[in-house]
Amino acid sequence: MTEHAYAGRTAIAGIGATEFSKFSGRSELQLAVEACLAACDDAGIEPSEVRGLSTFTMETNPENDVMRSLGIEELTHFSRIHFGGGAPCGTVQYAAMAVNEGVADYVLCYRAFNERSGRRFGAGVQDRAAGATAEEAQFSWTSPYGLLTPASWIAMFATRIMHEHGVTSEDFGRVAVADRRHAATNPAAFFYGKPITLDDHQESRWVVEPLHLLDCCQESDGGQAILVTTLERARDLRQPPAVVTAAAQGMGADQQMMRSFFRDSLTGLPEMAVCARQLWETSGLGPDDIRTAVVYDHFTPFVLPQLEEFGFCGRGEAKDFIRDGNFELDGRLPVNTHGGQLGEAYIHGMNGIAEAVRQVRGAAVNQVDGAEHVLVTGGTGVPTSALVVSRDR
Amino acid sequence: MTESIDTSLTDRLRAFVGLSAAANSARDPVNEPMIRHWCDVIEEGNPVYTDPSVAARSVFGGIVAPPAMMDVWDKPGVRMTRNPDNPQGAVITLLDGAGFTSTVAVNSELEIGRYLRPGDVVHSTLALEDVSDEKQTGLGVGHFVTSRLTYLVGDAPVGSVLFRVLKFAPGTGRAPAAGEAAMTRDPSPAKRPRPAINRDNQYFWDGARVHELRIQRCAGCGELSFPPTPRCWSCGSFEMGYVVASGKGTLYSFAVPHYPQVDGFDYPVLVALVELEEGTRLVSNVVGARREDLRVGMPLELCWLDSHPALVDGAGDSRGPIALPQFRPARQPRRESTLEVADLADGHALPLCPIPITATLVVGGALMTRDYFDSHHDRDMAVRRGSKDIFMNIHTTLGLTERYVADWAGPEAIWRSLRVRLGAPNYPYDTMTMSGSVASVDRARGVVTVAFRGANSLGDHVSGTAQLVLPGGSSYPDRPNPSGEERR
Repeated sequence: MTEHAYAGRTAIAGIGATEFSKFSGRSELQLAVEACLAACDDAGIEPSEVRGLSTFTMETNPENDVMRSLGIEELTHFSRIHFGGGAPCGTVQYAAMAVNEGVADYVLCYRAFNERSGRRFGAGVQDRAAGATAEEAQFSWTSPYGLLTPASWIAMFATRIMHEHGVTSEDFGRVAVADRRHAATNPAAFFYGKPITLDDHQESRWVVEPLHLLDCCQESDGGQAILVTTLERARDLRQPPAVVTAAAQGMGADQQMMRSFFRDSLTGLPEMAVCARQLWETSGLGPDDIRTAVVYDHFTPFVLPQLEEFGFCGRGEAKDFIRDGNFELDGRLPVNTHGGQLGEAYIHGMNGIAEAVRQVRGAAVNQVDGAEHVLVTGGTGVPTSALVVSRDR
Repeated sequence: MTESIDTSLTDRLRAFVGLSAAANSARDPVNEPMIRHWCDVIEEGNPVYTDPSVAARSVFGGIVAPPAMMDVWDKPGVRMTRNPDNPQGAVITLLDGAGFTSTVAVNSELEIGRYLRPGDVVHSTLALEDVSDEKQTGLGVGHFVTSRLTYLVGDAPVGSVLFRVLKFAPGTGRAPAAGEAAMTRDPSPAKRPRPAINRDNQYFWDGARVHELRIQRCAGCGELSFPPTPRCWSCGSFEMGYVVASGKGTLYSFAVPHYPQVDGFDYPVLVALVELEEGTRLVSNVVGARREDLRVGMPLELCWLDSHPALVDGAGDSRGPIALPQFRPARQPRRESTLEVADLADGHALPLCPIPITATLVVGGALMTRDYFDSHHDRDMAVRRGSKDIFMNIHTTLGLTERYVADWAGPEAIWRSLRVRLGAPNYPYDTMTMSGSVASVDRARGVVTVAFRGANSLGDHVSGTAQLVLPGGSSYPDRPNPSGEERR
């Protein structure tokens, strides 16, 4: 059995976020700093005790600026994870490795942006000319044909998933309905008090066929920070620790950035399979041990293959798993109990880690009984990451 | 124009309705050279029109003329003069004099009594059936003129055509509605995002400029790769070459962006993930098809969009020209053995068939059907008459329609009628995609009615029905049937 040294010996000790909105009225840097302060306050430590920062390559707030505003004198660890929304659980894994190695006592993972009132993520690359670097030139294979946005890239997979597995638009809609149902009772969610019906989903306008508007996550302004330390230290802090039981990054064969159109099958997520294998192998856990999960939901279609890759159901059976009501709060696997990125906010998956911590603490607004181990997944269609956090002892 | 119209014009026109007269007489008998030229232009492959030995063994018992050529044989061609004794000629003259100088054909309903054979000498009579009130149409203000031509060989009728034209005043067309005029996005392909060319992908874009779809191939082991890689993942070689794809593929998946909208595209955009027959995939667009035509697995064929022109005389792009591979529904091969009526059901769909509209096809088609009307071959005159370019004549459309339906039905399906309505013009550089389905089947008699349409980028160019007799029903003749007379 593969072992990860940090697994079971490190923990999330604090979570902190700004409000989630469509117009923060503040700089992205201020959002990052506010979220980091909130996470330290949640744990009951001084920000000046933090010695590491871990974030996304897409983050616009560099570690030196965040450090300076937090009043941190020096950093001994700073790390960035590439590939957009695939990074969130990866930042926690880096932080866990750093604290377990003694490189830093406390590491803050953070992500903050005005991606609704500032540069909108849904706009994709429509205003960006392709460059000649290996990374940018990959857009040459898609942009000249009109695939310019994340929704358009995912739609190409969705059509094939529908074709091969008999999935319908209503099945995608059931994911959105579950997310919005959970958001409706979460005061922190942007769509608090605003559930939707399957008819609402079906009647919402096309964004990119086969994706309706309500298949697409929000664009949000906000920040989220996660404080990681050793389990031993976490036990002395204000909140019950959420143990980092397993963490993984994954990149699969013939991987492209949201446009892995050229691999053998478009209906699976090989990079998520790499994560699932590591999580289950290093922790000894399996899907039967998971009572609730935060499943990355930038667009509804990719929720389905994630259920299959993690073994909650067989290949092609996710539609049946969802139709059977397993996403209900009293069902087999309540998913995205905070409302997900469709319902709460789209903070590149970092807010999902915070929800997993709340479930483990027993402090979630839609608390699931027996949430001992909670699975969190990172972005889909990209090189990604995943995490299991657990109750302490 | 409206104010100058006096109601007496309509009355004067209507005075000719119901009159008939001799129309045209063919100078030459039905002959194989003209049939062959027609087949060349239309890309008609049915051997019963051109191959004496195949035709002799067929239900026709010998060479026959394509039924859509029925109204070609007696046309006077370039020597055409208007016959004022003919009621149609009289009303056209009146309409020209009243300012309705432009002409477009809008309907043709061809009834085939019997197939024509080499040696038949055709002549026709014309009856003026109707002249409409003055109408405001999209093209302009005008009158519809409806005539019936009856074709005869000797004294025996062999077929007829109901023919309706619109005579309209140029420049009186309906202005586009406010919404139509307010295009927020410029769909010119030159506005599309340019690909970035680097040392890894240059082979592809160099190929595109000469309309070669290149797939990277390892010079060492022959492994194909897309997107390209500087090193073969299979054998490790850095010697990467390419092979030129056949251009045949299938639709592996698709996405249809509606929002957000950017310049360079006509929304919603049909974006395809094409699986080439060589095995690699690429992202492209489907052209010559509508959203509802898209099916995973449908056969596609390559065509090209010269999206970003080279810099010439200050216009174009200094970064060099770009061509993008595009895909259209693949034309299916002609059926070699004729469909049996038992094989059909109502609603049975005909395969899509894209027809590239070239100036050669427009001009060649017009001349092959002895139609020397200037707007089918002279762009200056076409523009002067209010058209944006030369446009396809109705006889070419009939020929293409016949080919489309017969390629599906088979070489020995026997035509009874071909009724079409024309809409948006077929201008060069467009593609008309034919689609169709079985509207009804009379199983006992073996008679099938096919509904079809041919759509180009402006809308439906042609729609209509074709009636054919298929083997397996009582109306289909025993073979061979040298007389060509079908059993009723």
